[in-house]
Amino acid sequence: MASRTVQLEIKRQASPDAPAVWEKFELEWRPGMNVISAMMEIAANPVTAEGRETTPISYDSNCLEEICGSCAMRINGKARMACSALIDNLEQPIRIEPLSKFPLVRDLQVDRSVLFKNLMAVKAWVPVDGTYDLGSGPRVFPQQQEVSYPLSNCISCTCCMEVCPQFNEETGFVGAATIAQVKLFNNHPTGKVLKEERLRALAGDGGIQECGFAQNCVEVCPKQIPLTNAISDVGRDVLVQKVKDFLRG
Amino acid sequence: MATAQHSAAPVVHRGVQPLRAGQGTSFLWHKLHSLLGVIPIGAFLIEHLLSNFEALKGPAAYAAQVKFLNSLPLVRVLEWVFIFLPLLYHGIYGVYIWIRGKSNIVYYPWAGNWMYVAQRYTGLIAFAYIAYHVATQRFLGVNLPENPGASFHKVQAELAHPLILAVYIIAMIAVCWHFAYGVWLFAAKWGITPGAKARRRFGWVCLAGGVALCVMGLASIWAFVGPKYANAPDTVAPVSRLQVTPVRAALGSIRWG
Repeated sequence: MASRTVQLEIKRQASPDAPAVWEKFELEWRPGMNVISAMMEIAANPVTAEGRETTPISYDSNCLEEICGSCAMRINGKARMACSALIDNLEQPIRIEPLSKFPLVRDLQVDRSVLFKNLMAVKAWVPVDGTYDLGSGPRVFPQQQEVSYPLSNCISCTCCMEVCPQFNEETGFVGAATIAQVKLFNNHPTGKVLKEERLRALAGDGGIQECGFAQNCVEVCPKQIPLTNAISDVGRDVLVQKVKDFLRG
Repeated sequence: MATAQHSAAPVVHRGVQPLRAGQGTSFLWHKLHSLLGVIPIGAFLIEHLLSNFEALKGPAAYAAQVKFLNSLPLVRVLEWVFIFLPLLYHGIYGVYIWIRGKSNIVYYPWAGNWMYVAQRYTGLIAFAYIAYHVATQRFLGVNLPENPGASFHKVQAELAHPLILAVYIIAMIAVCWHFAYGVWLFAAKWGITPGAKARRRFGWVCLAGGVALCVMGLASIWAFVGPKYANAPDTVAPVSRLQVTPVRAALGSIRWG
């Protein structure tokens, strides 16, 4: 099977305002190939299937084991992590495009900083910074750990936002990842000091109310985070907080 | 615009704006939309389909039901506050929610995503139909609140047209679908069913309820177009079954004192 090859079609764009073009590549098949390793091979020898010289493909990636969240892209139309997209499991030619909901930087590289702005907007952290040693935190019971651990697996890949019909420029929806992190930090014994602020933040424009419960987020999540459960739980908490604020106001 | 001259240049996406933490009032308007769909609109839908079911007992019983509803205290106020205004808000805001969503069912043909799309189409069918239905049955033609006896004939005359009948059947299915899945969505988004298994179970409950309502609704339509009450008189005396039972009739014949 020396002649067995892999066909890839990659959508390329030199800069945010440059026209998009498709380039075809043909690589020799090797066992265990994934989309990132294929693009590494292209970088080593950047020649298209037609034999024309081109530039290496620009993309984000780091860990190559589905844990850093960098290499999310659309592969055969679906958002997923490129490092865990095994060539043998994909229909060829493999069509690779950048995520569609984020500002494009170059080729398959997009600017996903909106997720980090959203995480800051809901204060998705445990506040322990100070001028003196606060000592050890309260104990987290195993039952709580069971709930929190899956939520803590979020790798900020933004796949849940990419596939969400409500995450777009019209709604400015915050997306499932941020909502799940609100649940994580609100359940933390020290993190819950900011619970009310997080819930009020999520009731702002583009907040949890924009969710249409299409449930694509939970289908696509590479870490199997129970995102719809989190949206339901946090949705109730936000509502209760707003009612309390109204009655106490 | 200067960029319009270069048609080859793609649209530069500025991207989705971050959360406006704690700002704006859209939370209130979304929750109001969601709540109104269940109460009062959903509650009224159940009442309406139950009332329609009286048509199976014939024109007199149907007329009695219409007369009873129109004898409720402050009925015109109830009608506007609990039916017309909530329906208008739910419909118009629902369309607003729809046009701001960007369906991607082509790329992600998953069950929940299909239901997301179906909820929008069934909602639009329901809204258009209800507007037509309220206009023709409540505000045009014979004024039923004043002439409840004419209600069966009025509906029957309208359903006599095959096209209108088809619209009513399609709308009945769309309305029941939209309501049943709407209740499921309400429970999911308001945190009543935060567990995946709970949502699955409640899905079966909503399906059963929706099918039951739809079957009742279609049976009521059959009462108007079927052979049993064909060519109902223009107007009948509103008499419910309860009032013409032998006991009532006997009691009625006794001369007291």
